[in-house]
Amino acid sequence: MFATVKAAAVSADEPGSLLLAVAARDQQALRRLYESEAPRLFAVALRILHDRSAAADALQEAFIQVWHHAGRWDPALGTARGWLTGLVRYRALDLARARGRETLSPEPLAEEVADDEPGALERLLAREESGRLAGCLETLDGKNRRMILLAFVDGFSHSQIAASVGVPLGTVKAWIRRGLMALRDCLEA
Amino acid sequence: MIPTDPDELDLLAGEYVLGTLEARHALEVKAALDHDPGLKAAVARWESRLNGLAALVPPEPPPPDLWSRVVQGIAEAGATPRVAYRRRRSRLLERPSFWRWTTAGFAAAAAALALLLVRPAPPPERYLAVLQTESTSPAWVVEGQAGGGIVLTALNPRQPEPGRALELWGQPPGATAPRSLGLIPPEGRVALDPTTVQPRPGMLIAISLEPPGGSPTGQPTGPILFVGRLEAVPR
Repeated sequence: MFATVKAAAVSADEPGSLLLAVAARDQQALRRLYESEAPRLFAVALRILHDRSAAADALQEAFIQVWHHAGRWDPALGTARGWLTGLVRYRALDLARARGRETLSPEPLAEEVADDEPGALERLLAREESGRLAGCLETLDGKNRRMILLAFVDGFSHSQIAASVGVPLGTVKAWIRRGLMALRDCLEA
Repeated sequence: MIPTDPDELDLLAGEYVLGTLEARHALEVKAALDHDPGLKAAVARWESRLNGLAALVPPEPPPPDLWSRVVQGIAEAGATPRVAYRRRRSRLLERPSFWRWTTAGFAAAAAALALLLVRPAPPPERYLAVLQTESTSPAWVVEGQAGGGIVLTALNPRQPEPGRALELWGQPPGATAPRSLGLIPPEGRVALDPTTVQPRPGMLIAISLEPPGGSPTGQPTGPILFVGRLEAVPR
């Protein structure tokens, strides 16, 4: 069993191999994972929190969690990058909730990318093997797509989405649920 | 409350991943993840569906001191890694990668136990390192075995000069710095259990000369007197 540990030396700086090496307590792999993923992940937290110091806190806590819990990532359930993104987003969302999400993004990124111009999302997501997701998002009604992006990318709460899209609060939740179901059905079709 | 209806459960998981749940509700979902495998799998599926959207955000360099804060945070959380072992689904247990990469603590013990259930366990692999310097004959032997700790024995016990102490260090392959395994007593014999050190092939074992009480910095401060690598003993 231990003889195979020698193979643990990570040759490819791919997030999945690095994460596996971190689970095997390889500190250098954590460093390499940080170097390759931190700019992406910091941007995700910053987009939700609009505060560099708070975003740095979220990223710090997330990478400490990575060190302790890398073994919880299950390659069968999703990509390493998706797992890391989740860790950072949950920390950032927790911090945003603790602050009452009072910091509305002055210019939500969702507004820039959720317009009705065909193919806008595909172009943005093309590099990330998310072309299918983009295609499915574009099948949604424009307002619905904007709601989902405001929630995911900008970390908006239901009431912030209601204010931003101009839809009564009561309907936002129902629309988002409908959007999620449509996305799921489209992705699994 | 976590719904039992599968459709409701799936939508709740989607909302959790999307981030629209209020604080109390989100906490409830997070707490339920550990003991609700259906919810956990639904959340993982939504993560793999939605998290690619993060690519919409242009990357942004984090503050330059953030990496050192991560390292500090890990050090403050305790030198011994906390490995919470929880029962995993058999699919995971059957995957070779799980075996290849699961090394530490409870996980390894549980893995060994699971192996016992399906086939006779092979004898644990043994490791040996002879610590020496260029100028002296072999002075120390380190023995260990998979799943166990290590034993250090002095072949020619000798005392360090007065007012100095000998400190033992271990550095697993891939690690960037050695970790103290404690001071070496005058009789020159140290036995360490697996909670202190998990021997692995390629692990560097070193002895340095330090002030009484050991290195004040957590890293060797004096000269490294002896060094060797653990190698697997051919069966």
